Amino acid sequence: MTTRDSILAAVHAGLGGLRAEPDAIAAEAAGLLADLDAIRPRLAAPDPVDAFEIKAAALGTTIERVRHLDDVPAAVGRYLAAQGLPPAAAVQQTAALTALSWEGIAQDMATAPDQPAAVGLARLGIAESGSIVIHSATDSPILLAFLPLHHIVVLHASSVVAHLEDYARLLDGGSQPRNAILITGPSGTTDIEGSYVRGAHGPGFVHVIIVNDRSRA
Amino acid sequence: MTAQDQTSFKARAGAALADTTLKLAIDRTTGTAERKRAAALAGFPEFEAARARGAAIKDHVIANLDHYLETFERNATAAGAKVHWAATAEEACDIVVRLCREADAKHVTRSKSMLGEEIHLPDALATAGIERVETDLAEHIIQLAGEHPSHIIWPAMHRTREQVAVLFNADHKPPPDAEDPASMVQSARRVLREKFLSADVGISGANFLVADTGATCTVTNEGNAELTTTPPRVHIVTAGIEKLVPTTAHAFALLRLLVRSATGGELTQYTTFHCGPKRPGDADGPEEMHIVLVDNGRSRMIKDEFREMLRCIRCGACMNHCVVYRQIGGHAYGGTYPGPMGAVLTPVLDGLKQSRDLPFACTMNGRCAEVCPVRIPLPTLLRAWRVRSWEEGLEKAPMRAGLGLWATLARRPGLYRLASAIAVRTLRVLGRSGWIRSLPLAGGWTEHRDLPAPAGGTFMERYKAERAKGDSR
Repeated sequence: MTTRDSILAAVHAGLGGLRAEPDAIAAEAAGLLADLDAIRPRLAAPDPVDAFEIKAAALGTTIERVRHLDDVPAAVGRYLAAQGLPPAAAVQQTAALTALSWEGIAQDMATAPDQPAAVGLARLGIAESGSIVIHSATDSPILLAFLPLHHIVVLHASSVVAHLEDYARLLDGGSQPRNAILITGPSGTTDIEGSYVRGAHGPGFVHVIIVNDRSRA
Repeated sequence: MTAQDQTSFKARAGAALADTTLKLAIDRTTGTAERKRAAALAGFPEFEAARARGAAIKDHVIANLDHYLETFERNATAAGAKVHWAATAEEACDIVVRLCREADAKHVTRSKSMLGEEIHLPDALATAGIERVETDLAEHIIQLAGEHPSHIIWPAMHRTREQVAVLFNADHKPPPDAEDPASMVQSARRVLREKFLSADVGISGANFLVADTGATCTVTNEGNAELTTTPPRVHIVTAGIEKLVPTTAHAFALLRLLVRSATGGELTQYTTFHCGPKRPGDADGPEEMHIVLVDNGRSRMIKDEFREMLRCIRCGACMNHCVVYRQIGGHAYGGTYPGPMGAVLTPVLDGLKQSRDLPFACTMNGRCAEVCPVRIPLPTLLRAWRVRSWEEGLEKAPMRAGLGLWATLARRPGLYRLASAIAVRTLRVLGRSGWIRSLPLAGGWTEHRDLPAPAGGTFMERYKAERAKGDSR
């Protein structure tokens, strides 16, 4: 008997040798997520984008709203200048960002180990927690979100979902990437006497540029 | 007993009580944790309903654990990960060391994992001559100090800022610019950055194993898990078999409880799902992903009352709220896991004979069960170990003799009344001032505080007297 089989046999025996049908197990598991509003927090505001902004700001994330995607490079330039940084950043090589006119901002092609600033595109925002979501992909290196001191994230207002479960649903059906990461505020630690210090290993600053691409009534 | 400490619990607890710096360090962190948890719960009125559901999710998983283990294995394999099974701590370490050797690893980075501590992975890597770099700030501190974690969330909480400065000044080249926490965190960032990018293998734990996607989930605040698992060619996960959840949404339901209970946050800064190795064309990520599923006593717990302990999601709230932990800290417990949850788990992992004192290091005030986000009846489980300790004859002779004598008397009411009448009068003689300063067989109590002398007569004597008064009225 392999170790695998002996562990499974011990588990099975511990459970009294009974085993439910997979369909029954799945139904019970689904039932445990019924009436989700009873077990999750309400949004901080009725509008998901407003709620996102309230939560993210409370975590120390800074936010600027712009009207069009074309406004992003100028917003990045303003942020870098306000932080006293040179006008340069690693920009995620994804079509939505590379198509923009980055005049006046030097684009670093790779993310350096001590990269001062990087600009990436968020897959989603989550209103409940003020999180942004990134997925690994051919045009989405994970280290772009972890090596820089300043992580500048472009988020479409239309891609803000209300709750964590709304995001989980999007992962169903075999669309799970290698890495799916919820980023909730800047990197921090309380490991020395409980004092909160930002920028432990990941970015010490997260700046979200929300592109208002929703058509409001 | 784990390799770290062969002394007795009483000796370790005594030493901890005499260490005033330790008391200060514990108070600073647990006090903050308690306040922040309370604030987080105040903003989450759904907490009670959520914890009932959280407990039900964990119970459901354990009741169908064989199904979920097989489902997870199938889906993780389909995603390109290799799943390994380890019955014991030794087997788990052997697998990890073998994988490191196959990867020709000179140095490995590790992101904090209590399971890694439980199986003594740091020692196994050292024995195998593989350089290990701990990347969580607290683990980095205790690696420099040559210590083990004293808390499951804040492993270095027993160290003051000044003590950390001494360690960093000796190790970091160049040393930190100053000795405040911010400068020291900055220095660790600088020193570890290079290690992250040059590691051959990255090792992490898992907070959840998601059955229907085959993903492992880690939560960190620093970002060290992603820097540990992305650059190296090989990523190894070690995880206990109880970490399964049916779907990502179930993981989120538990995460809401875990983070609020652990740090008082709503979500950790980084919540990451790792699903297999790098995909074709992916911009970065490891070429290989290995998942080591570790039993190490867990399958035994399924069949008895300790099954409820398998609900534990390792938040640390029980220890932050434990009057005993807050006096003696984590190292005094002697095992991998301290505090109430550790006092339940250590006898499972190390044997009751070696850890018999732990279930008794409890006042049964019930705070741990009140704060547990998955409603584990910790005092009931500690009492279960006390019962087993008695049944297995592990109680010391004076305790057995004392309880035997009491049982003999308790079964004979006449004799009991006589004995208690004598005892009360003796105590009154010893405590003429109203207080008893020392008492044979009760030195442990009277060393630290006086015992009040009895008011006069036994309960039965006074009861009869009162009743007679009532009748004559």
